[in-house]
Amino acid sequence: MTVKHPGLRAALLLSPAARTGARLVRSFAERETKALYKRNLLGWLWSLLKPLTTVAVYSLVFGVIYRATAPSTANGQAEVFALYLFSGLVVWNVFNTIVNGSMRWMDGVSELRKKIYFPTETALIGGAAATLLQSSLEALVLVLIMAVLANVSWTLVFLPVAMLLAALFALGLGFAAAIVNARYRDIQHLTTIVLSVGFFMVPIVYTPDIVPERAYGLPVARLVELNPLNSVIAVTRDAVYFLEPPDIADLATAAAWATGVFVAGLAFFRRRSMAISEEP
Amino acid sequence: MPAVEVSDVSKRFRLELNRPTSVKEAVLRFGRRDVRHVWALRDVSLAIEKGSFFGLVGHNGSGKSTLLRLMAGIHRPTSGRITAQGRLSALLELGSGFHPELTGRENVFLNGAMLGLGRRQMAAAMENIIELSGVGDQIDAPVKIYSSGMYMRLGFSVAVNVEPEILLVDEVIAVGDEEFQQRCLQHMESLRSGGTTIVLVSHDTALVRELCDRAGWLDGGCLRSVGDPDEVVDAYLVHVADGGPEPAAGR
Repeated sequence: MTVKHPGLRAALLLSPAARTGARLVRSFAERETKALYKRNLLGWLWSLLKPLTTVAVYSLVFGVIYRATAPSTANGQAEVFALYLFSGLVVWNVFNTIVNGSMRWMDGVSELRKKIYFPTETALIGGAAATLLQSSLEALVLVLIMAVLANVSWTLVFLPVAMLLAALFALGLGFAAAIVNARYRDIQHLTTIVLSVGFFMVPIVYTPDIVPERAYGLPVARLVELNPLNSVIAVTRDAVYFLEPPDIADLATAAAWATGVFVAGLAFFRRRSMAISEEP
Repeated sequence: MPAVEVSDVSKRFRLELNRPTSVKEAVLRFGRRDVRHVWALRDVSLAIEKGSFFGLVGHNGSGKSTLLRLMAGIHRPTSGRITAQGRLSALLELGSGFHPELTGRENVFLNGAMLGLGRRQMAAAMENIIELSGVGDQIDAPVKIYSSGMYMRLGFSVAVNVEPEILLVDEVIAVGDEEFQQRCLQHMESLRSGGTTIVLVSHDTALVRELCDRAGWLDGGCLRSVGDPDEVVDAYLVHVADGGPEPAAGR
């Protein structure tokens, strides 16, 4: 005999406003997913081409030409630079796509918002949800390769956790960027530049231990260490590469940054988005 | 208790001529900005009873559309308070509430979600919506390829098929052909008899006299008179005849 819980859904989505928000997020997420995959035959596989190409190119330059070595995986078999790189790249892509996408998702609904009221943040959250869905495909490929190398363990459960934290962190920044970009159109170009610098400020194409203490009078190692994304990447590497439970300090830092930036970004967005709907 | 209550509402818009659109421009033009403030509404107070049909008349630029937007929650009043009780559906301008890239069907679901209706409810209403709009197979085409008539007809069909408790209509039915206008009016009548509160902005004073229980006249952002539609429309027409600004075509 089954017991029904009619109150469960209601308890999860308490207010009508929360239900409306959830429906809108779903609509926008579906819209984004369709836009990405509907038009070409290769569909979902197509979306893997870009990250795999990135992995191939960086592996060639750093792994083959510069002979960078990756630490060994948990089972000590592989020292494949490409996989070390890929594990960091999966999370970076979540972050990068959401920060850049936020401005686009905002533009996509700003005309609509001038004609009908709806909580505008749902468009950005929907876009982020679609990004997570797409990135989980990349993550799946990574895990499958690791499985072939017999390098999997229960610690994999922390991979989605890290991706979610990266998404929250990115959304917080994306909320702010979308608002500023609605007024000053060159913010999207600045963001691209900042993000491409940011990519090299986190240990994705290199290992943290080869970073020099100081260079050109700058405390480089400290700067890399302080980067909030560093801890998210560290959690990811532990989860899929070293197969260790994450360092509690890393996890706490990542969670604190992600929630803090998300909450602050959302508050800023809610306070300012009304004014943007009044722009002529 | 009134369905829509407007208390001492004023709305000021910030207009900036040659507003810088990039950080670069903003820096270069620092301190030399041409900002103006325009009052679209001043101290408007108004109560619209549940189940009534309210008409708004006035010249272009008198604040009618701004008032509807405030009722719809699109803008927030600069001062004062607006409360609307119940599910509110608004038809403010051509294609209001449609995302150009989405298909007609997807937009119906999206609009439903914005009004607090689930997919099942919208799916149930879908056939009626398609039927009334007359867009046929095009329902699965992106709305950006729709003609302005189709846009408007689908918008209207959605607005009246979501069982609104309050319906705001801003002079859109003028776009449709004779037959569609008749169907619109029939639909509004049947909604009214079902207890829906309707607010209509119109330049068609005959229509306001015929349909409305009460009417209001906005002039330069101020509410000049509220009450019996015949009296309000007469006062407005006298003002027009006395050389008030010519009501131009358009909105």
